[in-house]
Amino acid sequence: MSETLLKVDQLVKSFPITGGLWGREVASVKAVQNVSFEVKRGETLGLVGESGCGKSTLGRCVIRLIDPTSGTVTFKGQDITRVQGEGLRELRKKMQIIFQDPYASLNPRMTIGAVLEEPLLIHGLFPSAKDRKDRVRELIRLVGLRDEHLSRYPHEFSGGQRQRVGIARALAVGPELIVCDEPVSALDVSIQAQVINLLMDLQQKLGLTYLFIAHDLKVVEHVSTRVAVMYLGKIVEIAESEELYKNPLHPYTKALLSAIPIPDPRRREERIILHGDVPSPVNPPPGCHFNPRCPLASEECRQTAPELKSYGQDHWASCLKIKAST
Amino acid sequence: MSDLLLDVKNLKTRFRTDDGTFFAVDDVSFQVRRGRTLGIVGESGCGKSVTSLSVMRLIQNPGEIAQGQVNFEGRDLLKLPEQQMRAIRGNDIAMIFQEPMTSLNPVFTIGNQIDEAIKEHNPKMTADQVRERTIGILRKVGIPAPEQRYKEYPHQLSGGMRQRVMIAMAISCDPKLLIADEPTTALDVTIQAQILDLMRKLQQDFQAGMILITHDLGVVAEMCQDVIVMYAGKIVEQGTVEDIFYRPRHPYTKGLLDSIPHFETGHKLDRLQTIPGLVPSLLDIPPACRFQDRCPYVQERCRVEYPELRALNDTQVVSCHFPLNGDKA
Ligand SMILES: Nc1ncnc2c1ncn2[C@@H]1O[C@H](COP(=O)(O)OP(=O)(O)OP(=O)(O)O)[C@@H](O)[C@H]1O
Ligand SMILES: Nc1ncnc2c1ncn2[C@@H]1O[C@H](COP(=O)(O)OP(=O)(O)OP(=O)(O)O)[C@@H](O)[C@H]1O
Ligand SMILES: [Mg+2]
Ligand SMILES: [Mg+2]
Repeated sequence: MSETLLKVDQLVKSFPITGGLWGREVASVKAVQNVSFEVKRGETLGLVGESGCGKSTLGRCVIRLIDPTSGTVTFKGQDITRVQGEGLRELRKKMQIIFQDPYASLNPRMTIGAVLEEPLLIHGLFPSAKDRKDRVRELIRLVGLRDEHLSRYPHEFSGGQRQRVGIARALAVGPELIVCDEPVSALDVSIQAQVINLLMDLQQKLGLTYLFIAHDLKVVEHVSTRVAVMYLGKIVEIAESEELYKNPLHPYTKALLSAIPIPDPRRREERIILHGDVPSPVNPPPGCHFNPRCPLASEECRQTAPELKSYGQDHWASCLKIKAST
Repeated sequence: MSDLLLDVKNLKTRFRTDDGTFFAVDDVSFQVRRGRTLGIVGESGCGKSVTSLSVMRLIQNPGEIAQGQVNFEGRDLLKLPEQQMRAIRGNDIAMIFQEPMTSLNPVFTIGNQIDEAIKEHNPKMTADQVRERTIGILRKVGIPAPEQRYKEYPHQLSGGMRQRVMIAMAISCDPKLLIADEPTTALDVTIQAQILDLMRKLQQDFQAGMILITHDLGVVAEMCQDVIVMYAGKIVEQGTVEDIFYRPRHPYTKGLLDSIPHFETGHKLDRLQTIPGLVPSLLDIPPACRFQDRCPYVQERCRVEYPELRALNDTQVVSCHFPLNGDKA
């Protein structure tokens, strides 16, 4: 078993909602609630769930782009939950993020060369100008683009190419962990495949660890070693990827898997159709968060919030209705 | 009553921009039959939305329909005066757009907006009848507590509910043809499954014809009987859903099918197949076959002679000099 690179324990993130005359806090968005998991070096943990369930917030807390409300994040054995200043700067070299929208995240007035050089300057890496240029050239080739692209501006690139630039920028400082926040959601399938292959090649070559956020379960299955399913701020199930897709236990995971349209006209099978919409994280329902949409919900589900329990090797789920036999 | 509802012939839609003039839809022909769903697939920018907007005659400056026929129940819509066209829009032909917020008016309640649509096409109905019908439709599309929702504004609804309101509005006048442009792209899969299920049931009830535009091949496999694959403004392949998914003959169609991560265990951690390169700019399309620069089977002839669409059998049509032999993708 390889080393645990990242450990998240009882992480909570709430955003205050202010209102009234004095801007008092009137309520809060409970975006992430008591989430715990671990990621081993070299693996990819996929994170799936419906829009607004807290995936991006969780990813951002983990790499300290935003401060968690409570709980701890441990990276390579060190508690980084409250690291500030120089410590945080050091951390940024080890943890990076790739965003969904490759256009919005690149400065339109900087050439691609300057975009890639910037993190090196910020972190004082490769102090000699020549070494820096060499590193930038190495980066652009690593993501399958060419030297001539360095003098161009973001608008001259297609979506897939911009995403490659985003990846190169994240790689510039030599990170160990990369949070990929919907890195291919905005791309066409043919381009999606190019970028996914690139991410997987880079992982092999550089020994990277990914926290891979996506709402496309096919993509997540393809890239992930393990998968965590989130619903309204909580992880409801986590398991090895193959196990989760073959043997889902939580009713939400089952519905999610069953809802994926399969590109095969002979397999128009009966789907589990859920009723109702995702509730608001400002007023999550009492008991199990999934109970208002759950086909199995009973009175106890409206009263008691289930905890994650172990069902066999490395398979955890939180539902009162799972038969104990598994 | 003939089965044939919509018969589009040689449609060309042109845009004149500062950078130049191009055909976003270039000589496109297809048919929609009652009770059937035609899927239009293809990557971003290939002309799916422009095709549907052309059918509705909603193309605006700097665009214009340059040529073709849009025969709806035997009448060419392109020849009708705008006033008659307005009566057809929303009545005989209705459209559901991708982003419901842009097509719902934020300052009116949703009940009010559906009422208006019904009134416009049923001037003799009383206010109470209209309201009753609106609430009935909201219930039909699965909006809980429709009497309550009737009084609410678009921003008070979730994305899935707004999309249902759009559908309610579209079906409020029992259209004969429903055009849905990426109706579920902005939604999560469990909500998408609800909406698709709803659309399928409604179509069965009405025996309407439907055009479903999407880039998700899974949605096509699930919903459509007939499929058009577009590439850079042209139809490259056309057939039944089985033709397209089991016997793709155009290399682009096969490339699209192969690049989807397969949702089966066992394929995991393999490399995905990709289509190399990028979609060409419409201002700079290669002469002859438009797919030539990305095609793994390209030959000299593909660079000099345009591959006219030709029928391979009763149902399948392809634009390729060297069609694949049709093995399963
Ligand atoms: N800065 C913020 N202030 C207030 N609320 C926020 C903030 N950021 C996120 N939220 C809320 O927290 C919840 C979780 O949001 P988050 O962006 O993490 O979801 P997500 O799972 O990434 O969704 P998506 O799939 O749409 O990207 C949402 O209800 C969101 O509105
Ligand atoms: N109003 C407009 N002005 C100029 N060009 C336009 C306009 N509308 C569409 N186009 C161009 O026409 C082409 C086809 O666009 P269309 O919107 O039909 O693509 P699409 O297949 O629907 O793509 P997507 O999947 O991104 O919705 C594109 O190159 C687009 O840039
Ligand atoms: Mg997000
Ligand atoms: Mg479109």
